[in-house]
Order: sequence, then C-alpha cells, then structure tokens
Amino acid sequence: MLKKILLPSILIILSYGFWVSPDFKEIAAGVSIFLFGMLFLEEGFKAFTGGMLEKLLQKTTDKTWKSLLFGVFSTTIMQSSSLVSVITISFISAGLVTLVAGIGIIFGANIGTTTGAWLVAAFGLKVKISAYAMPMLVFGIILSFQSSRYLKGIGAVLAGLGFLFLGIHYMKEGFESFKDSFDLASLAVAGYPGLFLFAGIGAAATVVMQSSHATLVLILTALAAGQITYENGLALAIGANVGTTITAIIGSLSANIQGKRLAGAHLIFNVVTGVIAIAFISQFVWAVEVVSNKVGIAADNYTMKLAVFHTLFNVTGVLVMVPLINRLAVSLVRYLPEKELGIAEPIYLSDAVLEFPETVLSSLKKEVWHLFDSAFEIMAHGMNLHRTEILESTDLEKTIHDDREIHEFDLDELYESKVKVLYGAIIDFISRSQANMPSVFSEEMFRLRNAASEIVKCVKHIKHLRKNATRYMLSDNEHIRSEYNRLRYQISMILREIYRLRGEDDYDHALAVLELDELKAEILVTHGELNNRISDVLRDNQITPEMATSLLNDFNYVDETSNHLLDTAQALLSSHADLVAEAAREVVLDEDEIEKASIA
Amino acid sequence: MKFSRLVDKFENLVNILDEGNNIIPEKLEKLQQLLEAKILRYKSKLAVTEDPEKRRKLETRLKVVAAQLEKSRKL
Repeated sequence: MLKKILLPSILIILSYGFWVSPDFKEIAAGVSIFLFGMLFLEEGFKAFTGGMLEKLLQKTTDKTWKSLLFGVFSTTIMQSSSLVSVITISFISAGLVTLVAGIGIIFGANIGTTTGAWLVAAFGLKVKISAYAMPMLVFGIILSFQSSRYLKGIGAVLAGLGFLFLGIHYMKEGFESFKDSFDLASLAVAGYPGLFLFAGIGAAATVVMQSSHATLVLILTALAAGQITYENGLALAIGANVGTTITAIIGSLSANIQGKRLAGAHLIFNVVTGVIAIAFISQFVWAVEVVSNKVGIAADNYTMKLAVFHTLFNVTGVLVMVPLINRLAVSLVRYLPEKELGIAEPIYLSDAVLEFPETVLSSLKKEVWHLFDSAFEIMAHGMNLHRTEILESTDLEKTIHDDREIHEFDLDELYESKVKVLYGAIIDFISRSQANMPSVFSEEMFRLRNAASEIVKCVKHIKHLRKNATRYMLSDNEHIRSEYNRLRYQISMILREIYRLRGEDDYDHALAVLELDELKAEILVTHGELNNRISDVLRDNQITPEMATSLLNDFNYVDETSNHLLDTAQALLSSHADLVAEAAREVVLDEDEIEKASIA
Repeated sequence: MKFSRLVDKFENLVNILDEGNNIIPEKLEKLQQLLEAKILRYKSKLAVTEDPEKRRKLETRLKVVAAQLEKSRKL
C-alpha cells in the first residue's frame, strides 16, 4: 500500500515545489543531473571491471593495511564510497576477497570518500565548473557512441564527470537564490537534540539521493550560501555518513551471506563513527579549528572546515575500528550464520557478480569445484569407501582390498540433493550471465559448463558401477573380487591425485594440468592389461562368462569416469590460472596422441 | 592508418593481456623448461628403479612428457 502511494506522493510534492519556487526547481535539477552523472560514472567503471580491477583487488587486499589503502584509493578515484561498497559486496559474494579484507576496504572507502568533500570544497565552489563540464560531456557522449567496450567506458566516465560537475553547478546556483526564500537554519535546535535532528536529515537526504557526495555537496553549497550554521553542517555530514550505508544494504539484498555480513559491517562502522562524532563534537570542533589554523583556512570558510571535519571523524572511526576488524568479522559470522540445509546450495553464484565477466568466471570455477566435491562424496560412498580412506590412506590399494564394508545409502536421493541442484544452479547462472559476457570469455564459460556436465556423468556411471561392485565385493570368488577392487582403486587413485594437485599451492599449475595426461596414459595401458587378464581367467574358468560380461561393461563405465574426471580436473586447474597453465592447456594431449605416446 | 584500425589493434592487445587467450612465447618457453626438467627427473628416477611394474609406469609417463614437449615445440 505504502509503496503504491509513495511515488505519486513524491511526484506531487516535487511538482508543487517546482510550481512555487524556481530555485527549488534548479536545486532539484542539479541533484538529478548529479545523480545521473553518478550513474554514468558507475557504468563507465563497469566497462573496466572485466579484468584489471578485479585482478588488482585480489592482489591488493591480502593484508588489512592493503585493503584499507585499496578502499581509500579506489574511492578517491571513483568518488563514490557506495559504488566501492557495492562492488566489494559483489567480490566478497564471489569469494574473491575475505570478509576481513572486505571490511578493510569499506573502512578505507570511508576515508576515501572524504576526498570528495575536499575536491568539492577546493574546486567545486571556487571554479566555474561548467567550463570543465561542457567539454567532458561532449567528448564523453561522442566516445560512448563507439562500439568498443573500452571507448564506451571512457566516454561514460567523462560524461559522468561532466554531469556531476554540471549538477554541482546547478545546485550552487539554486542555493544562491534560494537563500532568501527558505531557511534551513529555522529547523535548528540547540544542543544534542539539534545535532541528532540534523544528523537524521543528513541520513535521510543520503538515503533518498543514494549518495553521501550529493548530500555533502548540498551541505557545502548550503553552507556557502549561509543557509545552515556550521554546527548544523557538521551534524548533516555525520548523518550523510550513516545514510550512505543504504546503498550497500540494498546491494547486499541480492548477495550471499558474506555480502550481507559486509553490509552489516558497513552499517556498524558508520553508526559507531557517527555516535563518536556526536559524542565528542566539541573536541572535533576544536580539532577542526586547530587543523584549519595550521593549513591556513579562514575562520569563516565553513566549507573547508566541513571538509576537515568529515576527514577527521572518518579517520577517527577507522583508527577506533581497525583493531577490532577480526573481532567484528567473528561477531558478524556468529550473528549472521550460514543457513544449514540438507541439500547442497550454490556457494559462489551470486547475482551481484553477473555484470563482472571475470568475477563470473571465477565464481563459476569455484562452484564447479564445489560440485566436484559433492560428487566426490557420492562417488566415494558409491564405491563403498570413505573420502578419508581415498585421500589419506598410506596404502590405497591395500585399504580398498581390506575394506569390505557396504555403505547403505540412497544414491539417487543424494544425487538429487547434492549434485543435480548444484548442476542446475550452475547452468542457470551460465545462461543468465551470458548476456553480459564478452565473446572472449565464451570459450572459457563453455569449458566450465562442460566440466560440470562431465562431473554429473561421473556420478551416473558410479551409480551403474555400484550395483556389481557391491555384489562382487562380497563374493567368495577372489578373482572377480580382485578385479572389482582394481576398478575401485583406479577411480579412487584418480580422485586422490586430483585432490593432491588441487591442494598443492607450490606446485606449478601448468605441470599439474599436464601430469593428468600421464594418468590417462596409465589408464590406457591398464585397459589393455585388463582385456588380456579377463581372457585368461575366463579361459581358466576362474570367473563365469556372466561375471566377465559385467566386468567388461563396468570397466567401460570406469574408463569413461576416469577420463571425465581427468578432463574436468584439467579444465578446472587450467581455468583462470596463470598464463603458463593456459599455455599448458594447448599442450594437453588428445586421445590419439596419448595412445600413440603410450604404445611408442 | 585509420583511427578505427588503431583502436582494433589496441583492443586486441588489451584482450591478449587481459584474457590471456593467445599463448605468449615467453610462457611457452617457460613451460618447455618445466617439461625438460621433468624429463630429467623421470630419467634419473628410472635409473635407480628396479621394480618392473614401477619401471613400466615411469616409462609410460616419460613418453607422455616427451610427447607434450614435442607438441609444445610445434606451437
């Protein structure tokens, strides 16, 4: 109900405002142009988030101080802490950065956002902004019509900056003449209630405009026009800082639990910082005076003083909160726990990353590994083995020979809940992300989709193998039992090798990819040996013809499963790895080449 | 040269650097060095291995790595 009347009410109020005050119209238009510029700017940066920015993020956030600096610099460049917060949420959802690193970026972004106030204070109100805005707009729009993704991006950034400055210009003009018709100072209340009131107004304005910069510009322009007092301005700035978290909270709605935790951290930081700033307002005012005197800011230059205040209280907030980062992360994990479900749920596929091609691929790769892990569980139990036996036993062959315990479970049910669900989510994610994927990523995406599909085939093959493997595992005929143990060993050994190669950080990715070819050749040799052995034991009546038929059929399943597993691992180990591993992908031998090499 | 062709060339360069789709000669050379080192490792292992089963496996692996090295040289 509220939603239905909200928009018409806003439109009516605005229309009334436009009717009674041309100045209000100018300010509103300025704010609109400013926000339009923000949209352009965001679009422009998105064109570059395909690779460079994301790789940079991974390398520059592995330590708290690095993530803090990253937050400062990226926000200074993008001039939007909200944009940095939303992107960080998307990265954390994709598992590219840890929660602690994400919190560091958010803290840094709060310092970075203060540079906006300095820029606006130093240039925005002193320089004839439209002089810069117009050429930027013209160049930006021309470039944004180009077909190249990067030129479009540059165009959007230029046009965004142009609109941003143009918006500031209009807001400034509006406030200049608005000064006599409406007095924000009339809302002023003395003492703390007044501070909280203006902090609330600042927060509300930022929530409405979705930009603390826009609010700061409003505050600075209103201050310059003498519309509000210095103290009102400080309170508005505090409120703007709290209000800015709304964008991150909205952004986290589509993110996974990690993204929600980060949005929570953002809110906690800004509220704590705001409370500190209000509680120690007189100390801050004193500090602002000291700094202003040192750097030569005039006593009546409230715009610059507000910029100093904005910087001081955000830096104080960071100094107070940084030592608590780890504790904050632990608390967020405790109070925003992961949902525990009986069925597997995708961990890395978040709608928040859909617009970032490299992140899409990275998330997809992680999710396919997740699918691999789920399939491993089913395959291990399907062969009546425990995962720890496969991964940890010192003598795998002997363990398989000795372990004759049957694992009672419903393979179909596990397949439905642990594999099919994830596979479906992966396919759905791929189809939804394709719209935003540049063609250069399509091949990689196809490779990952294929890998997921091969994992599913492996589980289905194990289902077929399980029936006879279980039956002959308990057989008194040691020959057939031994042959089925060999089949169980082959798959277990491959799984074990894949997990070994995946887990070794120091091992070269390229060598890992190529080493799997060696396993393929070994399987080929084993295949020939098995055929000979079956003929021998059948001729000597050691197994029945029925057993021989089952064995040959099941060997085909094992053979296919082995190759699917190895192909999948090669695709995953070489995907999104280093350039040498990508070169290794071209050197991987095909079936004929392996056959030729193994019999040479 | 037309501006659009310059832009295309720039884009190709960006794609190569950004996506790593084309093999970079230095990386291929590095890969070949890794494979050569592996061959030496397998050969020295083979020299001290007496168990026929283990020897056979090592020989198979050696052949595969040699084939990979040969393939890489053709790229």
